[in-house]
Amino acid sequence: MAETLLWVIPLVPVVTALLMLTTSNRKLLSTIDVSSSAILAALTLLLAHEVGASGPRSLGMFRVDDLGIIFLLLLVVLTLAVSIYTVAWLKQAVEVGNMKVESLRFYFALVHAFVATIVVTILADNLGILWIAMEGTTITSAVLIGYHGHHHGLEAAWKYIIVTTIGISFGLFGTVIIYAAAAQVMGDASSMSWIAMMQVAPKLDPGIVRIGFIFVMVGYGTKAGLAPMHLWLPDAHSQAPTPISALLSGILIKCALLAIIRFQMIAAAACGVDFPQQILIVFGLASIIVAMPFILAQHDLKRLLGYSSVEHVGIIALGLGFGGAVGTYGALLHVVNHGITKAIAFMAAGTAIARFDSRNLQAIKGLLAVAPIGATLLMIAFLSLAGVPPFSIFVSELMILRAGIGQGNWVSVAIFLTMAVIIFAGLLHHAGSMVFGEPPKTASRESETRSPLIAMLLLATLMILLGLTIPTMFDGFFQRATEVVLG
Amino acid sequence: MNIEIVHAVIDDLGALLLFTMILIVGASQISRAIYAVAFQSLFIAIAGAVLAMATGNVDLWVIAGITLTVKAIALPWLLLWAIRRMDVKREVEPVIPDLATLTLAVMFVVMSFHLSASLGSVRQAISGNALPVGIALTLNGVLVMATRKTALSQMVGLFASENGIFFTAMAVTKGMPLIIEIGVILDVILAALVMTIMVLRVRSTVDADIADLDRLRG
Repeated sequence: MAETLLWVIPLVPVVTALLMLTTSNRKLLSTIDVSSSAILAALTLLLAHEVGASGPRSLGMFRVDDLGIIFLLLLVVLTLAVSIYTVAWLKQAVEVGNMKVESLRFYFALVHAFVATIVVTILADNLGILWIAMEGTTITSAVLIGYHGHHHGLEAAWKYIIVTTIGISFGLFGTVIIYAAAAQVMGDASSMSWIAMMQVAPKLDPGIVRIGFIFVMVGYGTKAGLAPMHLWLPDAHSQAPTPISALLSGILIKCALLAIIRFQMIAAAACGVDFPQQILIVFGLASIIVAMPFILAQHDLKRLLGYSSVEHVGIIALGLGFGGAVGTYGALLHVVNHGITKAIAFMAAGTAIARFDSRNLQAIKGLLAVAPIGATLLMIAFLSLAGVPPFSIFVSELMILRAGIGQGNWVSVAIFLTMAVIIFAGLLHHAGSMVFGEPPKTASRESETRSPLIAMLLLATLMILLGLTIPTMFDGFFQRATEVVLG
Repeated sequence: MNIEIVHAVIDDLGALLLFTMILIVGASQISRAIYAVAFQSLFIAIAGAVLAMATGNVDLWVIAGITLTVKAIALPWLLLWAIRRMDVKREVEPVIPDLATLTLAVMFVVMSFHLSASLGSVRQAISGNALPVGIALTLNGVLVMATRKTALSQMVGLFASENGIFFTAMAVTKGMPLIIEIGVILDVILAALVMTIMVLRVRSTVDADIADLDRLRG
């Protein structure tokens, strides 16, 4: 059963993408979109249940363990929410002329092709397939970022495709080098399978693996948006159509982190845990520090959220770098928490931008007066991103902090805390000025549309739930995934 | 074929690859850089054929054939077609002086050899000097991308960079699995097509080079 699901799940978005090409009716396209995402979510829950009950499964080049399940669950929750959000977003985008009715089918086909490549990245056991799927996500999402055809969008798309392609070609180089080390040990049975490499990992030559891991870290780190390779991220995440921004920030950059975790485990077994952890801490701190000034002095709402993603990816890397059971658990939890929260933030920002017809933070004022529910959601998303309890990000940040204190890494803890406090103030200032005050006369006073609210409320429920308690089923996945990472 | 002869041939081809790389870095005209990268891919295809003969690995023949048709013929042709289509008047447009770029390029080559020399055991896993040459090509490809302001030059840098990876991958004992190599090549083709479309699209709407747009800041 679970083995069947391993090839059915990637097939669902592929079939959907092809199905989309057969019609150009907007309502029909949206129906297919939402139902396909719902099917994907249902199948993933089934797979999660099977894996939770009887452990990891593999089928050819695909494999799923508890670590993969966490990322897969995040993906399906976000695609479902994004699909629901898209219904009304698309209607509005067609009305104002941002999207053309004739080319809607290509948009949907690309979105599902994008989802398919993400699914393969998560399920790939073969490190070569992982790379191919990762480059696939770059190509499909680059087209989506420039989809409006506006030259700002195309500029962002070009920067994105060129920087991440060159970045992950470093990742391929690192993969080849580590494969060379493994092939030497494995002899005739050499394969690029991650699980096979893990079995021989302690026997690999540490010198080669070290160089390979640095290449991988720079490569997949570019895709993850870690500083100083993050330069494409604020552009791409701010220029993409809103549903795509939510997917890019919510899940895509986390998949690059999943790839890094896989290699981190090989490197930890070959050269000891300290080496990969130190590198992760350096990149993590760099990202948090670099993001801070750009968050404070930002004028563009979506760019603000982009830089906030750089910060949070840095926090996840920091958690993985601190390591131990608490740090790793916290980092994995932060992957989910940030994914959900950032998706709400982008969705709420997208509707606010449409209402005020501006992305400038100074122009958006008094959102509470014109759109009370949307404004509340935007506010709690910002509060959560800033790390306020009882929202979920507070919990995972606290765990990462505790892991750092447990390790006695005082310098890193001090830098993390200082930056978190400054960013907290900055985010609250921006959120307050958008939500409160007197709305300008030009702001649209139409009543709020239903589908975006349903999508955001779905995610907000999860966000608050995960802040208050972690359900036993999820806790089981996180516990076992932590064990997988720690080996 | 004798193992020493194979290593010698791979080293000779590696030297030719580095020579074409210097030509790309120093090229004053975009079309020359494209011809240089085409020759670079041709040498990599030859390296694949030599390794295929030496190891009797049939997969490597296939990879050599694909490299020849795709990277040495099809992609350079695509770039040359785009140049004609766009009627490029500006040429390479370096960001920093050519001499500085060339100095950096030479430093990367020396650094790559120095780095690989510190890895004794890697010699058994990868034939000849394929690792340092591969690292040098990859880094110099990035250098080309970082120091050029025209989109097509950046694409040439990208292809050169990927050539370095392919060269190292071929020389790894047993080579990479065929299906992976084919998947990687497919990605390269798709990426090149998408990039070319973007370049042409920006050229036709705002009459500027896509790599030269800099409205997004801060």
